[in-house]
Amino acid sequence: MGSALRDVLIVMQWDLMKLKNQKIFLAMRVTWFVIQVLVFARAVSYIVKRAVSELIGVDYYYFYLLGVYASLLYSTGISRGYIVAEEFDDGIVEYHLSLPVKRGVLAVGRVLGSALSAVLFTLPMMLFVMLIVGLESPSSISVSTVLVSILAAVLFSVSIVGFVVLVVMGVRSTDLTDILMGAVDAVLIRLSTVFYPLPIIEASGIAPYYVAAALNPISHFADFLRILVFPEYELVAKHGVLPTLLYIAGLAAGLLILALEYYEKKLEAGGWK
Amino acid sequence: MNSWLRGAFLVASRDLARFWRNKFWLAGQVAMNVADLVIFAAIFRGVVRSELIPDYIRFITPGVLCLSIFISAFSIGREVGVELRREVTHYLVSLPIQRSALVAGRILGGVLRGLIYQLPFLALAVLIMEPPSLVEWLIVVYASVSLATIMSSISITLSTATRDFNLQAALRSITYFTLFFVSNVFYPEEALKARLGSAAPIAYYSPVSMATTMYRYCFGYAKSVDLVFNLAGLGAWLAIGVVIAYKLYLRNLIK
Repeated sequence: MGSALRDVLIVMQWDLMKLKNQKIFLAMRVTWFVIQVLVFARAVSYIVKRAVSELIGVDYYYFYLLGVYASLLYSTGISRGYIVAEEFDDGIVEYHLSLPVKRGVLAVGRVLGSALSAVLFTLPMMLFVMLIVGLESPSSISVSTVLVSILAAVLFSVSIVGFVVLVVMGVRSTDLTDILMGAVDAVLIRLSTVFYPLPIIEASGIAPYYVAAALNPISHFADFLRILVFPEYELVAKHGVLPTLLYIAGLAAGLLILALEYYEKKLEAGGWK
Repeated sequence: MNSWLRGAFLVASRDLARFWRNKFWLAGQVAMNVADLVIFAAIFRGVVRSELIPDYIRFITPGVLCLSIFISAFSIGREVGVELRREVTHYLVSLPIQRSALVAGRILGGVLRGLIYQLPFLALAVLIMEPPSLVEWLIVVYASVSLATIMSSISITLSTATRDFNLQAALRSITYFTLFFVSNVFYPEEALKARLGSAAPIAYYSPVSMATTMYRYCFGYAKSVDLVFNLAGLGAWLAIGVVIAYKLYLRNLIK
């Protein structure tokens, strides 16, 4: 048990070390996030009716900021899929298989390592959002708020990376992964509460859209952050803070187990090719 | 000259044929653009301030025309990037056509993808907005061809800038965010002025803003726009974009 844990940590460390080589990538992500927060979010919140903010009990700008962080973490988790897919293309998987590590340990280490990398990668953006919210409403942000947000982000990220590993192993092509992930990325973000609160989606009368948004993991994570920062938002969200956290944790555990199963079976004897 | 043109068209037609092969991608993209319109019509229309934007669906439709060109014309860059990474470029430079014709063909391939993909959205714009007059149609064609050429050129430029798969995807996204969020696609001038202050004019120099303004004028949403500024601006973007893409792609083909 002790050696398995040590091996998991070593595999995770391998993923985390790779973050060092992603400075340019991080700079680009930060740039586009700043554009999104300072230009898009501000301009959109200007054209949105004041009644919307009154309905949800939170200024639409802050509502959107917390949602856009959720979508950013989701996209970053998805982009880890590109890295895994590239490893299959470049033959790094063969190197992984030659390591004196159990397949299951390798799978768990990769998923947890990639998930943690995604969270660390987006941490500056999360802190930026918290800072903007904190400047307007200092009582909303505390150390515990930030720490619980990070914990929830790790759980959410594990589920996204687990999902991505399943897709990469199933598709077995970098090109197709790129196309499929781009489509899934766009669809899931649109069918979520990143841009619109659930009551407004419900009022639109499009039942499938409402159901998809209510079940969507991105909605749950975004709403969890919103309730955490603005407790009054719980009246608007479909579920309370605990059920939402349980949903995120359950999804993370389920997808991690599935990824573990799939990874172990598919990797053996060149089964990913 | 004839063989140069034939070479460029051959390359462009090959790129167009490859475009149709990704049927699922195409279907997904069309569905996404239509979904955007439906979501904007059903939800966002009801939450925006009507004194700023009386009808959001009519306001956003010209922006969706630009978006459709971006998505399709930009796909050429993804393929150029894959070719560079996998060194398919060695095969490409061994083809019996001039390298300049090859590069021109790739840019043209992106343009054709953009224009063909945009057609159903133009039809939708006619249905949702007002049909343009003959002169306005000419302006629409100019805006679409220019924008498709600019997007095709930018995508090729970015894809040849790095061979890293992840970095290429990030570059695509940052370009989208910069071009579309710092533009008049999603919000009117008042919102940009209110939020960006003295920096607001930056948005008007975006090729996407210029094309959107022309579409809004031609489809009857905006009654008076500075046509000369937008026509000339888009022309300048086109010239600069093509030259940079041509030089960079040519350099990276033989590097």
